[in-house]
Amino acid sequence: MKKLLIASLILVTHVPAYATDTPISGLVQTRCLITTDTNGVFGNPLPSKLSTASADGGVVPVVRYDVTLADAYLAKVTTPTAFSTSPSLSDSVKWTGSTAVSKTSDAAMSGYEAAKVTYGSTTQFDLTKAGSTWFSSTATAVYGVSKSFPGGSYTAIVLAECIAK
Amino acid sequence: MKAMLLLALLPFGSAAAHEMTPTYPVFTDSFMAGVSVTTMNLFNKRTDVSYYEIGVFDDEWEPIPFVSQYTIIPMEYLDTLAFDVYVSNLSLNSVEYICSVSQVQAGATVSSKICSRIK
Repeated sequence: MKKLLIASLILVTHVPAYATDTPISGLVQTRCLITTDTNGVFGNPLPSKLSTASADGGVVPVVRYDVTLADAYLAKVTTPTAFSTSPSLSDSVKWTGSTAVSKTSDAAMSGYEAAKVTYGSTTQFDLTKAGSTWFSSTATAVYGVSKSFPGGSYTAIVLAECIAK
Repeated sequence: MKAMLLLALLPFGSAAAHEMTPTYPVFTDSFMAGVSVTTMNLFNKRTDVSYYEIGVFDDEWEPIPFVSQYTIIPMEYLDTLAFDVYVSNLSLNSVEYICSVSQVQAGATVSSKICSRIK
């Protein structure tokens, strides 16, 4: 019995532990991800006016930029200057629009709004910090001189660009 | 820590994202003499986009001739795709940007464009 116990102990203590290191590898690349956070909707506060402003019953489109490297990208957001789909229009449409920083993931990005550059319908932001930035764009279309927009479906496109510096 | 948080959050973001890597591609010799190639990766997480258009531009945003498997790339939702961009060595020094632009369907309100830069 004693020999059996000793033999068992020797066996048990010599069972090898098959432990091994399992590597997990990954590659983090410099990248820019453009995400449509909120699709815009036109409100129709007046017969001659379509607007994404919430005060006009619209929904402001929001685009999020995620960048993993500081000072590597420019964000350019262009508000629409034409409808991509609409009923047939016989008069001109006057467009106005603007883009602003609505949220950031880092307090150090607070200077983006003041440093933005606007030309035409495009607003350019220098993404000098890594992280996420949300941009909201308002767009307003006024038809002719107080003319009523014809009934139908209207769509316009906001262009969100991320350009490597 | 912030980078880790960002990476953790990205896969769980909105269902409408567009990504192209690398940010700074490098051209190398291709199997054809006088032609250089670089490989780009595209990721479509936009449910409202099924096609992306590829373009190559100089520093004045003038288009530069290139060859790829696709000019318009069909992509399903959550597809990732690697594609090669071939450029003649004669125009290689002029190449500044390689861009992908989403081709939006009726009803979409945001078009996305990502440009990588040759350094």
